[in-house]
Amino acid sequence: MAKQIQWETSLTTVKARAKKEKKLILMDFYNNL
Amino acid sequence: MENSFIPLQIDFNKNKALVKRYSIKWTPTVVILDQDGEEHHRLVGYLPPEDFIGQIILGKGKTEFDLDRFEQAMQCFQEILVRYSKADAAPEAQYYLGVAKYKASHDPRELKVGLEVLQRDYPNSEWTKKAQVYSLIP
Repeated sequence: MAKQIQWETSLTTVKARAKKEKKLILMDFYNNL
Repeated sequence: MENSFIPLQIDFNKNKALVKRYSIKWTPTVVILDQDGEEHHRLVGYLPPEDFIGQIILGKGKTEFDLDRFEQAMQCFQEILVRYSKADAAPEAQYYLGVAKYKASHDPRELKVGLEVLQRDYPNSEWTKKAQVYSLIP
């Protein structure tokens, strides 16, 4: 079974995490029609 | 993917500041950012899984390339060519692999070798056209 993605919702939080964990950011813009 | 990226999901209708900052006009749009929030790659619209994964790895490679980390960039481009050689991202990965090898080695023959691979494996790609000028390298 595929692992569920744990999505973040704040760019500010993610930037801090990315620096700490030395990762990049995958930002997905979605639209609930 | 979670070894390399932190996934961030943004509601297009509720985050106008980010929509404006990154000039988002349509969804889905996936943007690859570095740790400072600078954009290095994006894709718009839905893709089959293999093409989507290829684009994400390409985005990682282009980010590493932009940050002058050419060895890491080459690893990404080579991963696409080995594991996702039929994906839409593959010709662009081959193009950037040649450029990254040149940037790392300062040997312009790497560009010509990259063109030869493009001509052999992706003869109808726009990236082969873009690399055509490297045929002039002696």
